[in-house]
Amino acid sequence: MNWSWFHKLGSPKWFFQWSKKWAAPIFWLGVLGIIVGMIWGLAFAPKDYLQGNVFRIIYLHVPSAILAESCYLSLGIAGFVFLVWQMKMAPVFIKAMAPIGAVMAAIALFSGSIWGKPTWGTWWVWDARLTSVLVLFMLYMGIIAIQNTLDDRVLADKAAAVICVVGVINLPIIKYSVVWWNTLHQPATFSFTKKPDMPEVMWMPLLICVVSFYLFIAGLVVWRMQTEILRREHRASWLKKEVVSDGI
Amino acid sequence: MTYFSYFKAECLVLFRRKQNLVNALLFFTLVIVLFPLGVDPSKAFLAPAAGGIIWCAAALSTVISLESMFKEDYADGSLEQLLVSGLSISWLVLLKVLVHWLGMIIPLLLLTPIFSEMLFLPDGVLGVLMTTLLLGTPGLFLIGSIGASLTVSLRQGALLMLLLILPFYFPIIIFSTSAIQAVASGLPYSGLLAIISAISLLALVMSPLMTPICLRASVR
Repeated sequence: MNWSWFHKLGSPKWFFQWSKKWAAPIFWLGVLGIIVGMIWGLAFAPKDYLQGNVFRIIYLHVPSAILAESCYLSLGIAGFVFLVWQMKMAPVFIKAMAPIGAVMAAIALFSGSIWGKPTWGTWWVWDARLTSVLVLFMLYMGIIAIQNTLDDRVLADKAAAVICVVGVINLPIIKYSVVWWNTLHQPATFSFTKKPDMPEVMWMPLLICVVSFYLFIAGLVVWRMQTEILRREHRASWLKKEVVSDGI
Repeated sequence: MTYFSYFKAECLVLFRRKQNLVNALLFFTLVIVLFPLGVDPSKAFLAPAAGGIIWCAAALSTVISLESMFKEDYADGSLEQLLVSGLSISWLVLLKVLVHWLGMIIPLLLLTPIFSEMLFLPDGVLGVLMTTLLLGTPGLFLIGSIGASLTVSLRQGALLMLLLILPFYFPIIIFSTSAIQAVASGLPYSGLLAIISAISLLALVMSPLMTPICLRASVR
């Protein structure tokens, strides 16, 4: 297998030029997908026979919850890559991704508690799933805090990478919390092995939402990485040439 | 330098260094999460304990946030400049405490309804809890500023400051939690609120007298 793409990813210059082409299309495709999925889900999908219209919050809750976990997984991989191969782009990615993941976890928690009030009768329970997502949010905040607090960038990058790798242990706990403990939270909506329990008109818009959340965040993170490259490499001559000749 | 320019500069420093404040709020959150996870997540335990848990977390995070209050000024020499500036150091300390208090109490009051919901605080108690926080935290911050000025020249001051200052926080915490318990069981609570305010006012008198003494002793 040809590994040159992997080595190219480690070069800020190559990434910067690549991201100029791809960030905007991915981002706007994601925005379009979210609009389509949300309108379909919120206005046209049929009502749930038990929960009525309340269930529609699923179209925000499930994508943000899935993304909160996926973002952390990507942080863990990036942290591992940085610690093993010292790749320059990995800390840039961690810096760009951590706040997005924190926002996703916060949206998942808030939308979940808004959903919980009419269906469970309470805003919050100390259930395994909810608590482990709260811990995930705190992990994100810890990564952001350590990057902002340590002035020495080399040390900050390394410390953030270490927390990212260590925190991955929380992900299987979140994933299987609904299986291991008998909780109020329902089991996973999507899985790779079997068809969802919902009818197609209900899960199709949800699938669109999830996929377009991925695209939206991929575009966003590439943009944020561009900014971070500009900040870190502002002395490099290739960057000056690039910015002066054809903008950002 | 005038008092107003000092106040503006302090606000700016607090805003630029907002991570310190965010860390204190995260610490507040984590202390609260410890109780349901470590003791018992059931409503039967949490509902009567909620007010006390929030108060303990608020007191601990106040100490954490105040620990670095004079540290940077001490490290970069601006503390000496303040002492020789000719302005009354007591007023400068009060302004600094005011800025730190405002920075902390606003997010704290915004977070409290969320946490009281998570800890199943009984209905109707939230208003009194917020009132005790509003009346009691000035006392916490003013007393804390004495501790911060005592430990300003130490490298690891946080632990020592906790040891020194937490005992002085006990009265405020005791009266606040008794006010919350009183309202939960339908008893009058205005006297307890008056005592909390009295402690804060006493701290308002004592802190501007004591803090400059410690600061002068630290800067030689």
